[in-house]
Amino acid sequence: MKRLKKHLTGIGIIKLLLYAFFILFLVIPLVAVFIVSFTNEPINFFGSFISMETMQTTIDQLKHATLDNFKSVFQNTRYLDALLNSLYLSFVVSIVVLLICVPIAYGIARTKLPFKKTISALCTIPLIVPTFISGYAFIIMFGRSGWVTYLYQALGGEGLFIDPYSLTGIAIVQIFFFFPYALWPMVAAFKVSDVSLEEASRNMGAKGWLTFCTVTFPLVIPGMLSTALVIFAVSFSDFGTPIVLAPTDLNLLVVQAYREIAGFYNWGGAAILTLIMIAVAGFVYWVQNFFFKGKNYDSVSGKPKQSKLNQNKLVTVPIAVFSGIVVLVPLLAMLTVFLQSIATTWGKDPLPKGYTLAHYKMIFTSSLGNIQNSIVLALGALVLSIIISVFVSYFVVRQQAVTLDFMTTVPLIVPGIAFGIALIQTFNVAPLQLTGTAAILIIAYSIRRLPYMVRSTVGTMKSIKADIEEAAISLGASTLTAAITIIGPLMIPGIAAGSLLVFITVIKETSISILMAPAEWAPMSLAIFQNILRAEYYSAAAMSIILVVLVLVLQAIANLFTRKQSD
Amino acid sequence: MGAVVVEGLTKDFSGVTVLQHINLDIKEGEFFALLGPSGCGKTTTMRCIAGFEKPTSGRIKLGDQVVNDLAPNERNCGMVFQSYALFPHMNVFDNVAYSLNIKQLRKSNLFKKLGVYTRMFNSKLVKYPKEMKQKVMDVLAYVELTDHAHKLTSELSGGQQQRVALARALVMEPQVLLMDEPLSNLDQKLRHTMRNTIRKMQQDLKITTIFVTHDQEEAMSMADRVAVMKDGQILQIGTPTDLYSNPQSPFIADFVGTSNILPGTFLKHEAGITTVKIGNQEIKSVTKTDQQDVQVIIRPENIKVLEEASITDDNSFEGTIEVATYLGSTVRYEMKVGDYRLIADTIYESGHRILQEGYKVRLGVSPERVLLI
Repeated sequence: MKRLKKHLTGIGIIKLLLYAFFILFLVIPLVAVFIVSFTNEPINFFGSFISMETMQTTIDQLKHATLDNFKSVFQNTRYLDALLNSLYLSFVVSIVVLLICVPIAYGIARTKLPFKKTISALCTIPLIVPTFISGYAFIIMFGRSGWVTYLYQALGGEGLFIDPYSLTGIAIVQIFFFFPYALWPMVAAFKVSDVSLEEASRNMGAKGWLTFCTVTFPLVIPGMLSTALVIFAVSFSDFGTPIVLAPTDLNLLVVQAYREIAGFYNWGGAAILTLIMIAVAGFVYWVQNFFFKGKNYDSVSGKPKQSKLNQNKLVTVPIAVFSGIVVLVPLLAMLTVFLQSIATTWGKDPLPKGYTLAHYKMIFTSSLGNIQNSIVLALGALVLSIIISVFVSYFVVRQQAVTLDFMTTVPLIVPGIAFGIALIQTFNVAPLQLTGTAAILIIAYSIRRLPYMVRSTVGTMKSIKADIEEAAISLGASTLTAAITIIGPLMIPGIAAGSLLVFITVIKETSISILMAPAEWAPMSLAIFQNILRAEYYSAAAMSIILVVLVLVLQAIANLFTRKQSD
Repeated sequence: MGAVVVEGLTKDFSGVTVLQHINLDIKEGEFFALLGPSGCGKTTTMRCIAGFEKPTSGRIKLGDQVVNDLAPNERNCGMVFQSYALFPHMNVFDNVAYSLNIKQLRKSNLFKKLGVYTRMFNSKLVKYPKEMKQKVMDVLAYVELTDHAHKLTSELSGGQQQRVALARALVMEPQVLLMDEPLSNLDQKLRHTMRNTIRKMQQDLKITTIFVTHDQEEAMSMADRVAVMKDGQILQIGTPTDLYSNPQSPFIADFVGTSNILPGTFLKHEAGITTVKIGNQEIKSVTKTDQQDVQVIIRPENIKVLEEASITDDNSFEGTIEVATYLGSTVRYEMKVGDYRLIADTIYESGHRILQEGYKVRLGVSPERVLLI
């Protein structure tokens, strides 16, 4: 008792609250999903503690636990297909992304590429656009009445150039919108690998292309494999593209899991799919960490030197043309969305019939609420994640709280749709019926984006020396007061950097929004999604443009901040 | 009754004992130095007194209160850190006013608390009360920083930062002032000035001060008493002169000042004079001993170096000069005597010539200056 009392200082209570938060909203939901995969029906975890009756029901449910769901993974072709299709999709996407990125990365890092700055700038576009908007853009480009289809048929083609509603369509969207995730790490890899090694190779008589194949390229292979795994994980847990593009006869894990929950209320099925998703994502994350942690680009570097840029036109011009085509696709996709948003009608023609701002006007009169919801929810998630991450980083850095550190990395491996299903299952019934409230939505958003924030705040916390805090304490401040008056203000730069990232990603968030947001709290992403489902393409386009502009503005503010700091 | 009493303080860090049964009794208004090489446990001892480390066993008393279970922020120990640990986001004034703000925070109701918090975030928003302002300015005037009150701490020189750290600790009127190697980040010349400043301040304010250092010169020149530590134990506590002239172990003899330390064996004790054999030489000392094997300790300045055989001392040897170093007011000779090397410091008077390498000399030491341990 005395020991307990000693730990119940202000800061001790906060630590307990943090643990309680993570156990309640992260550990228990994941455990519940695991249990539900056996019981086949949702269990009332919290109710069991307050009511004997519920407890009895839960025990009965546990007694009837079966392995049916696990068997069904291998027997039910729907599930097995979903898993295989998802793995196949992610595998193809990561391989193609790698192949695309090698020449562009080499061009940016090592050659005098014409229009290098423009190409680099355009490469950031895909990062701004939520994937379901990219998917939707492909529909209005490649769909039956899309302008690409028009051009294709005008040139003598039959039917569709590419069917957007197919595995190929999904793969293409993911390739063109995920390649920047691989590009920048690869550019870094090319930049730091030791140029003197290449010079040595040339000195021994190897020609330019031979040097590239035997020295330059092999040196960046570890970095490339690592980024390929990142792409694999991003593609595997992407929900936006498949939910918009996957036809009913195409099973993908994320879509199947969503359909089990939203369509059939098949809790057991959703649970087993969730487990599979987490297992695969976790495995990829583990492999990436295990094999490549700290071994990436820096291992191949000597001292980074100013490299001599390749000026050979025979190399640079083809790379520039190739890069141009790659970055042009997302750009055209966004331009198409923009044109759609200001079109009166746009049928099977290369350009709209007329132009109008009516769709925007309509959004600002009837759908203003969605914009407000997005901002309020993002702000809520922001505040929550700031508070959590500041204290988490304090405990991680100062008290070596390994468990907390681990818990904040768990969201990295849990795909959004899986996390959403886990939360819905756990908080579906009284006494803790949170499903359908803004609160659970905010909590879900902030837990999902917590890793970004914590990474940023832990970095800043590490730079604050322990004796500054001890000085405050020796001057009479309690640990909590010292945290508020000294540590807090010193952490502001780290918080600011993480904040914008959290805010932007929450506004872009798709899976949690679509799965969990109630009608009265529908954010922009959900509104766009519903418009796409209802084939209200014009207002979907206008709302998408507003969302992208909002993200762009925030990104610009973020850049301004970071530039100021580095000055 | 001491101002700071440490009884049987022992500290383990995951099974490794870093402090073994430390006992200290520091008097009111005393300037007390903890001296020892790095890793000897002096900083840990101080951190136990400040409350940042929990003793594994033993008692710590401040005044007549046992503080073992008291949190560090409730002990009223002013602490000056080696790195100064100034708050980088606050100016000099706000740094010094920090403890006063905290005091006010403890006394206020919720509304006033918000005001104080706001002031600690930005002192332009909420004004300091008049008496608080006066108190801070008084302390700043005392450390001669009045003109720098509104500068950021990063704009100050090392010596000025040091004085801010001092002022910040003093303003809370601590029961004990703890200083952890406060001068180690300053350059040689500034260190000498700051020694005098700190010593004078301590004398003026009569504040009980514990000073941690690895620099024996610093400890000897500033402290009233010095505790020499090694490997988590206290070897000897005494005044600087006491430590210098009566070191109780070869380690202290060597660590406090320079010493010639030679192994000897006891021969006889007659009429108050002990005779000890070193190699094939005999040496006389006034120290009594009951040990068979002894360490013979002679301070370099107590060895006379003469060219002729005109030694009248009881102890006299022949030696050969190996190295002569001219140090301004003194000359240091390193000499070979028998199988041993001895160091002797002689006063250099202008006009005298410095004896060169290979020169044969006679050395003399009076038995009063030969110490046996």
